[in-house]
Amino acid sequence: MQHSWLPEIVRRSEQGPFMREADYDRALSQRVRQLVKTYSLKFDPQVLVPGDDEMVSRLFQAAVDLFVDLGAYNQSTERRILFSRREILEAVAAAPSKVVLGTGKDAVVEQHRGVESSLPCRMHSGPTGTPCSERYHPLILQSCAQEPLVDCLGHGSISSYMGQAIIPGSPLEILAARTEAASARQAVRKAGRPGMHIEDNAVSLTCAGKMASLDPASGLRPSDGLLIAQMPELRTNYDQLSRVAHLSSVGMHIVDLMTPLIGGLGGGAEGTAIITVASHLLGVICYNASYHFMGHMHLMRSNNTDRMGLWVQAMAGQALASHTPIISVNDLYTVSGLGTTQVLWEVAAGALIGTVCGLNQHGVGATAGNETDHTSGLEARFQAEVAHAALGLKRAEANEIVLACLGRYEHTLATPNLGKPFPELYDTDTLEPGEEWLGVYHQVRDELKTLGLDLDSGWRNAKYDGTF
Amino acid sequence: MTEPSERLRSELSKALRQGLVEEAKDLTQQALSAGEDPLDLIQNVLVPTLSEVGRQFQAFEIFLPELMAAGDAAQAATHILEAEIVAAGGQSASLGTIVLGTVQNDIHDIGKNIVKTLLSSHGFKVIDIGRDVAPSKFLEAAEREKADIVAMSALMTTTRPATRSTINLFTEAGARLNYKIILGGGCIDQAWANEIGADGYAADAAGAVDLCKKLVQR
Repeated sequence: MQHSWLPEIVRRSEQGPFMREADYDRALSQRVRQLVKTYSLKFDPQVLVPGDDEMVSRLFQAAVDLFVDLGAYNQSTERRILFSRREILEAVAAAPSKVVLGTGKDAVVEQHRGVESSLPCRMHSGPTGTPCSERYHPLILQSCAQEPLVDCLGHGSISSYMGQAIIPGSPLEILAARTEAASARQAVRKAGRPGMHIEDNAVSLTCAGKMASLDPASGLRPSDGLLIAQMPELRTNYDQLSRVAHLSSVGMHIVDLMTPLIGGLGGGAEGTAIITVASHLLGVICYNASYHFMGHMHLMRSNNTDRMGLWVQAMAGQALASHTPIISVNDLYTVSGLGTTQVLWEVAAGALIGTVCGLNQHGVGATAGNETDHTSGLEARFQAEVAHAALGLKRAEANEIVLACLGRYEHTLATPNLGKPFPELYDTDTLEPGEEWLGVYHQVRDELKTLGLDLDSGWRNAKYDGTF
Repeated sequence: MTEPSERLRSELSKALRQGLVEEAKDLTQQALSAGEDPLDLIQNVLVPTLSEVGRQFQAFEIFLPELMAAGDAAQAATHILEAEIVAAGGQSASLGTIVLGTVQNDIHDIGKNIVKTLLSSHGFKVIDIGRDVAPSKFLEAAEREKADIVAMSALMTTTRPATRSTINLFTEAGARLNYKIILGGGCIDQAWANEIGADGYAADAAGAVDLCKKLVQR
């Protein structure tokens, strides 16, 4: 790989093998199916936190094979961007294992975590893939930013600007992007954490919209980040790569967002795990990402807290933790909504797996990102507390607790309890959670403690390496 | 029905379920050679088999690769049977023509592709006009293909207004009543479909098939 890597990506995008997108889909499906067999990958619905290091290793090899064979698909040129095995492995080896997110006293170091690690997870919060109303969006952001255990703030997305529906590619998108960025900046300021890392401006669908949110005075800064998306599966395009070009040139964090679909082109859990790891390889070599959001989700329900979703997180997390230096972050999507016990049980299962399997934490996409204003700081607090309490747990121990959590919500996956939106659960003046939501939080917290998680003083389990 | 005919139908159904394109083509030819009625094969073998495949997919008993493979096999068999029907002077067995696309600025198309596979395998002629489709492209395709139904997909909340713009263009062009216009996708619900005056909404691919069948029967 040349050192001027982005021009090289463009060159390969223009000169790589032509393939119709539908043919790429079929080739990818077939290759994944072969790899599942070749590498004997097997999903066991009773073992959601596998301790089989050899299978983890085989998963990583399968993902490398897939990416070597298929490459990334550039939708703009209808050509595959191919890389040699050596190029991929060299890029992975050179990927950052620690990054500084944010600035000043609010800066945090996020780093690669190992399997069963006692290194604390960083907690990313905010409306994860969840739409917000213009009225409550600033309050929701502040409720997240003011949580002491939250390290980074996600933007979320508003669907209107001054009451008018936002049309992508129009001036409204630019105005909304700038307004949203300013809201996030204001939220961290009001929370007394002005240097907190802001990880995206999610309202924008176009490159221009994303770039419009860059404004060191009142919007996003180089110490913040923006998401660069992959389209499922293993696809990019020039609009996404152009974002990489600009963010790289201003030294801003690039966040690799992937959404491999369970039940999609990869088939079941095993194939989706292969694609999830391969998507990280794409994020390393095409996007030069600072960190990665592992956003795999159920094809129909758009959550990742069912058995397959949890297994994919566990296996892909371990494969990346054991075989790469990169920083990956889980991206929890629940079917349940705010104010319900189920949403917290879903979060607990996902957070446990993320912690034990080498990931940092990001959440929560409640109601699978469907319902408006279904985000608050309280579920992020809970996710971080579970992550702390799970530090140093062995995989077999985590598996038992995860299965117990599943027992509390699995029966509701098909008919989820959508709960209530933010303004019905928070005091919108003080920005404190109301009694109802706090009651649910304490109920689940107390039950989790009986399962063996020390939610009150989990932070004592943390072991630092001097740079945290 | 003779025993060999039953066997051929059963084997064709199995080949379709397993997504074996060449075997499905071969068995279709064998069935025609044995004197089977092509329309009857479509209605009583292909459609029920693919309906069951669709049900299994909705229930997550099988996944997208299996659905795609079954759809490919069914398409290959349908192609042979349609040619036979037309050669015999009959009308196409198509239930209707559907123009399908993801709306402007939305580049997500997996949901649309699943809907396409299921609609095709249930006997609709589907004209897939891709993703990020401008309103005028929907209108042009509908007029060109003499569509019965125009189906729009949108995933991102910020692309939802494009469904309204598209319907508005059909209205402005005086073409609104010529087509049934339906919606689907992650950011769409029945309330939105009602608000913008769509003729229907489906929450998933199986629902889209049911909806289209109802609309073409009216």
